[in-house]
Amino acid sequence: MKLEIVAPMGKIFEGEVSSVTLPGSDGEMGVLDGHSPLVTTLKAGVIDIKKDSGEELVAINWGYADISNDSVNIVVDEAIPLSASEGHDIADNVAKAKKLMADFAESSQAVAYAEGKIESVARNLI
Amino acid sequence: MANLKELKNQINSVKGTQKTTKAMKLVSTAKLRRAEVALKNSRIYANKIEELISSIAAKVNSIKDTINNRAFHDIETKKVDIIFVTADKGLCGGFNHQTIKTVSKMIKDFKEQDIKIRLKGIGRKGIEFFKFNQFELADEKIGLSAAPNYEEASKFILSSYNDFMNGETDKVIIVHNGYVNKIAQKIKIDTVLPLDRTKVEVNDNDILDIEPKNDEELVLTQLVQKYVEFSQFFALLDSLAAEHSARMQAMDAATTNAGEKVKELTLSYNKARQEAVTTELIEIISGMEALK
Repeated sequence: MKLEIVAPMGKIFEGEVSSVTLPGSDGEMGVLDGHSPLVTTLKAGVIDIKKDSGEELVAINWGYADISNDSVNIVVDEAIPLSASEGHDIADNVAKAKKLMADFAESSQAVAYAEGKIESVARNLI
Repeated sequence: MANLKELKNQINSVKGTQKTTKAMKLVSTAKLRRAEVALKNSRIYANKIEELISSIAAKVNSIKDTINNRAFHDIETKKVDIIFVTADKGLCGGFNHQTIKTVSKMIKDFKEQDIKIRLKGIGRKGIEFFKFNQFELADEKIGLSAAPNYEEASKFILSSYNDFMNGETDKVIIVHNGYVNKIAQKIKIDTVLPLDRTKVEVNDNDILDIEPKNDEELVLTQLVQKYVEFSQFFALLDSLAAEHSARMQAMDAATTNAGEKVKELTLSYNKARQEAVTTELIEIISGMEALK
């Protein structure tokens, strides 16, 4: 399944993924290959990307997802990616992602949940 | 002799101008590079959101009747909202004038069709022109086209968006001079609202599933608003890059012209000097002849 995440400042993620978990405005939703076509808005939270080579996170403040059979297109306002390719500034991005959550998430539980995810993935990456 | 001094002054003044235009060209080149990067990055997003919105707009055809959002309807145009973007500064060739000319023509055309117009402007040059020509501007903003900012841009277009949704206007158009490449600009007339539903072909069995189920309207509305806001922001970025490229070109031409002018003036200066020397020599020689 092809996933593409774009923000006004540029492309955040593009590539083949095996599954992706989105912070849908109605609650978290997982998307696998062959999902039925759907459009939905995303709220502040983390997009959890699972690839063959590992796991990546993207923290977003708002988003819009267009899901079709074999691809997922997401446009977001602000995004902080956490991935293995930029090892040296992970700590920096973790702090930024946490701040983004604190600024935009609607409840303290949501913030705590997102932070937990961010930290667990960041640990694996470092 | 006075002529010689005059020429010398002229040469120096043209050389001074040449230095200024050369410096301006260099500044524009540097700024263009930055504007290009910003434009390139946001173009990805622009294409993506446009792709999304036109595919959704096309798919919505099937459930059009259940949707109240005006952006997806066919509306008879009675009043248009025109937003133009020009630069704050001149000295960039015909860059601003092209936009102004296009907007003036649009106004004329709409008036002939008995369509009301509301004009909003970004950028000092355009605003000054229309004010001078007694056009009323509903809103104006100076300083935004020189330093595009997403928040400010969305604030600016919000009233247009709201008025369209309330049914006060029937069309929102953004006009700006856009960037093609380093030496070319092109006027772009972008109808932001209502959405163009003809761009993408759809099969009848393409269904549109929207989640959350009870809030389809909200999902579409959010996307449309984002699209409108971003279109405005993108127009600003595009216009800024085009402005710098136009200025670069204009200043390059000015520098070349100044160089030619200096050459020309130097030639006349040398001729005048030679003439003066010859006259003086003749005077001396004839003086000596007279003494013999």
